[in-house]
Parts: sequence; C-alpha cells; structure tokens
Amino acid sequence: MIARDRNWLLIFAVCAALAVVYPFIADGYQLTVIRDALIFGLFAASLDFFWGRTGILCFGHAAFFGIGGYIMALVTLNDAIPLGSLLGILGAIAGAAFVAAIIGYFLFFGGIRGSYFTIVTLAMGVICQQAAVSWSSVTGGDSGLIGIPPIAFDLGEIHVDLSQDLPSYIFVASIVAVVVLVLWSLSRGRWGAVLTAIQDNEVRAAALGHNAPLRLLVTFVLSAAIAGLAGALYVCMAGLVAPDLSGLLLSTEVIVWVAVGGRGTLLGPVLGAIAIQRAQQTISSFNPSLWPLLLGCVFVVIVFVLPDGILSIYARLKSLFKGRRQAQ
Amino acid sequence: MRPKACSQACANASQVLPDTMDFVVTTLLNALTLISILMLVGLGLAISFGLMNVTNLAHGEFVTVGAFAVYFVQSVGGSFWLGLAAAPIAGAVVGCILEFAIIRHLYSRPVSTVLATWGVSLILQQGLELTFGLGAKPVTPPIEGTFDLFFTVYPAYRLILIAIAMLTLLGVVLLISRTSFGLDIRTVIQNREMAEGVGINTRRTYAIAFTFGAAIAGLAGGLVAPLAIVLPQMGVNYLANAFFVVIVGGVGSIGGLVAGSVFVGGLTSVLNYQISPSLAQAIVLLAAIVAVRLRPNGLFNGASR
Repeated sequence: MIARDRNWLLIFAVCAALAVVYPFIADGYQLTVIRDALIFGLFAASLDFFWGRTGILCFGHAAFFGIGGYIMALVTLNDAIPLGSLLGILGAIAGAAFVAAIIGYFLFFGGIRGSYFTIVTLAMGVICQQAAVSWSSVTGGDSGLIGIPPIAFDLGEIHVDLSQDLPSYIFVASIVAVVVLVLWSLSRGRWGAVLTAIQDNEVRAAALGHNAPLRLLVTFVLSAAIAGLAGALYVCMAGLVAPDLSGLLLSTEVIVWVAVGGRGTLLGPVLGAIAIQRAQQTISSFNPSLWPLLLGCVFVVIVFVLPDGILSIYARLKSLFKGRRQAQ
Repeated sequence: MRPKACSQACANASQVLPDTMDFVVTTLLNALTLISILMLVGLGLAISFGLMNVTNLAHGEFVTVGAFAVYFVQSVGGSFWLGLAAAPIAGAVVGCILEFAIIRHLYSRPVSTVLATWGVSLILQQGLELTFGLGAKPVTPPIEGTFDLFFTVYPAYRLILIAIAMLTLLGVVLLISRTSFGLDIRTVIQNREMAEGVGINTRRTYAIAFTFGAAIAGLAGGLVAPLAIVLPQMGVNYLANAFFVVIVGGVGSIGGLVAGSVFVGGLTSVLNYQISPSLAQAIVLLAAIVAVRLRPNGLFNGASR
C-alpha cells in the first residue's frame, strides 16, 4: 500500500514536471490543444472518482459537464451579472451538484445500484441533450450559444485574465493538478476505505454503522460538481456551448478514457483522455464517421483484453516475467 | 419515432377536438400504439436484463436492425409484409451472434457487459450508416387510409400494429406457460444450479431466450418502421424507454411488463399533447425515478418480494 502510494506520487510528480516544461517547448496552438485535453482529463477524473471508488457506472456523466457549460455560458453572456466568470464557475459547480443531489437522492436511497443506476443515468444523459436542443429560447437549440468570453475577473488585489494561451494553460493545468491531488488523498484516506467497503459488501458496511446511501450520494455529488467545473472551463476556452457537450457520445468517450487509463487510478484517466483525444483527432481527419466505429471496437477490446486499463500492461508484463522465472 | 408520432397525433387531435369522445378514443389508441411497441421491445429486455441479469445496451439496435430489414426488403422491391417477416429474423441473427461472441463470456462481469454491448451498439450503428448511407430511410406502410371506429377515424395501419403486438404477446405468454421450452426457461430463472442439476442445458436456454428476445425487438422495429424516422441512431430512444418499462414494472412477470409499458407509454402519449416531446420525456423519466423510489420492486410486484 505504501509502495503503491509512493509510485502514484512519483508518476504524479513526473506528469506535473512535464506539464511545467511543456510551455517552453510548445507553440501557442499546441498549448491550447493540451489545455483542452486537460479539461477533458479533469472530466475523466471526476467520473473515475465515482466509478473507480464505488464500482457503480454512471452512463450520463456528460449531463453534468453540459449543465456546467450551459450555466457558465448563460451567466457570462448576461451583462447584468457582475464578476460573470467567477459566479459562472461557482454556478456551474452548484448547478451540476444540485441536479446530481436530486437524482442521486432518489436513486441511492431508493436502493438503486449497479446496472439499474447505469440505465437511469444513461436516460438522464439522453434527456439532457434533448432538453438542450429543444429549449432553444435559452440554450440556442441545435447550434448552441457562441461568443462566450474567456475567464477574466478582478477580485480585490487579484487580477485574472485568461484571454492569452499561456495564462489559460497555467490556470487549467494547476486546477487539474490540485483537483486530482485532492481527489486522490480523499480516496486513499478513510473516505475511500469506507467506499471500498461499501463496494465490496454494502450490507456489512451498513452493519458497521456506515450510512452507505449518504456516502454514495456525497461522492456522486462531488463527482458531478467537478464535471460541472470541467464543463464551465471548457466552454470558456472553446468560446461556445452546444448540445453535444451533454450528449451520449461524450458520456461514452469519458468512460473509454477512464477504462483505458485505468479505473480507480485518477491519474490514468487524465492521461487516457489526452492520449485518446490525440488519436481521435488523427483518425477523424481521415473520416469523421470512422471514430465512433473505432470507439465501439475499443470498448469490446478493453473488456476482453485489458480489463484494468493501459497502465495494467506494465503489471501484467511484470507478473509474466516473474512467472517465467519461477517456472525455470 | 416520437416527433412524427406526435405530429400525427396532434394532427388527429386538431381534426377531432370538437368531439370529446373522439379525442379520448384517439388519445387512447395513440397510447395503445406506443404501449404495444414498448411491450415488444421491453419483452426482450425483461428476459436479458430482468431474468438473466445481463445489461444489454445493444438492445435498441435490434429495433433498428428490424426497421432496416423492412426498409431493405422494400427497397429491393419486396412487400412490407415480407419485410416484416424478415425483421425478427434479422434481430434474431444479430442477437444470436452477440450472445455467442460476447455476452456468454461475460455473465459474471456485469460492468464489462455494459461496456462491451455499448461498443457493439456503436459498431452496429456506424456499420448501418456506412452500409446504407446518411439520412432517414423511407418505409411505406402496407395500408394507407383510415378505419372508421364509430367514435373516431384512425389510421388503419396503427390498428394492425396494435393487433399484431397483442397477438405476439399472447403467443409469448402461451409459449412460456404451455410449452416444455417455456418450462425450461422458468426453471432456469428460478434456480440456475438446480436447473443444471435436473439436466437442463442452461447455457443453451439462455442463448435461445436471448435470441428470442432479440427477434421480438426486431419485430417491434419492423412494425414501427412506417411510423418512425428510420435512422441508424433510432435505437437509443427505445433502449432508454424499454429499460424504464422493465425497471418500473418490475422484473419476472408479464404483468410487470404490461404495467411498466402502460406507465411509460401512457404517460408519454398523454404528455405529448400538452408539452414538447423532450419535456415529456424528461417528466416521464422523473416520474419513473420517483416510482422506483416508492416501489423498488416494481409497480406490479408489491412492496416486498
């Protein structure tokens, strides 16, 4: 356990160092590409915090991403609201958390777990996308909302202006680093231990005095809040918000990022998100309809070949060589 | 399906609004159309999700494949009825391959089943799109025109759809309650180990039951094709709704299936008159979540089981 923690911190430090060095070797465009990928990485980490710790798969996580994005867009586009960027981010987090709290209350306290939860969240994602399309007076319908300004606010002595590439990259990268670190310390501490106990055997965990539905609910709300934050950041960086931000395809992609990166590692999903998006951009440049097809194949392959994600290749190779040595 | 069904329904409604009786009967028949389709789609899901504990996210694609089968047969010159006969066969073939290649290896890994079947669903959608091209596919109903029902006039094809769906359901009930294969299924569901002990091949029973459910979903796709917008992505709406049918109705009985279908289909049809289809969907979802909170074992199964 201690060695595992040390390894995790080591990988985290290496990634952080790479993130610090990257602006010196990359030009502005490459910087924005990585920045956007990091935002999706934050989104993937938020799903992993819930899925990886509870074992319950949320199939509509993009709903929270989209809710955060739309709230951010609506707040910043409204000139009457002062400190639009800051209030937008807070509103995005609160909005996503609120929706998650309502849905989560009914599901977790209603005893909904496992596949049932997956199905209901799947439908939630479908409905969020439909709502974004059909509620066009507010959401702009199919084409969404454009012209969302970059994050900029003054708070006493602190002046934040993220209209340039480098400041926005630094802002996003530090948020991702802090959130991943906080989530990791949460999930390796007592909180994570109780969640693991609930995942293993909820009845026994409850018998030991843990309020299992409440724990699951709080974890779900926290996860949704971070997804909302990621959505708000993305919308400001991209300058637009559209219905597919809450759509089923994004919900699906985030699951792939987590599954490829390694469920329950928090850092793996961030790396998975960055790597897969690079692959997606390359493949989509050949033929846009090829990507969903490949995505489908990735799902099937992961399940049968790499159930523990890409990071598990290393461990597998290690055990393979160990096994061979013992055999000799 | 929803937008077109609604516009038809709304058109019907505007013709007949002056007469309340007309309106009530039309609403009921529209609801009955949706309920029939949901029962057929939900049946396969009740078998795989409810009884075998397999979360098959590719179930919606059985519906799509059925609808495309009708389109394909019509496009090469065949009649609608020939296409409707091909629809369950197409569903069964896809279902059989899926069970054989993927699902039977994952019975003990529920989350993996979710991921793998979703992958298959994406592959099927894109495969259909690459084969048949972009855009909605036209399917013409076998009978145009309306049927005079004394209180109201109603599209004749929809009445046929309701009749076929009811007959199919009746056939399934008889199959499960009267035949030796039905007995096998019921045995396996009640206790898998015991069923194996008395010499039932449970793997084979599962495979046949799954294929059978896929065939019925394919039939539903074929039936709904003339009313719906036939697209490779059409399955997901049926998938979500059918899951709600099974969850709300409770698993394990035809009664639960009927109750769930009436709940989801009835509520959707009634709400579609008042508000936009998306909002109606959202409200049905919320109602379903609340219903599950209040009756965790399903509307039909009472408070405890």
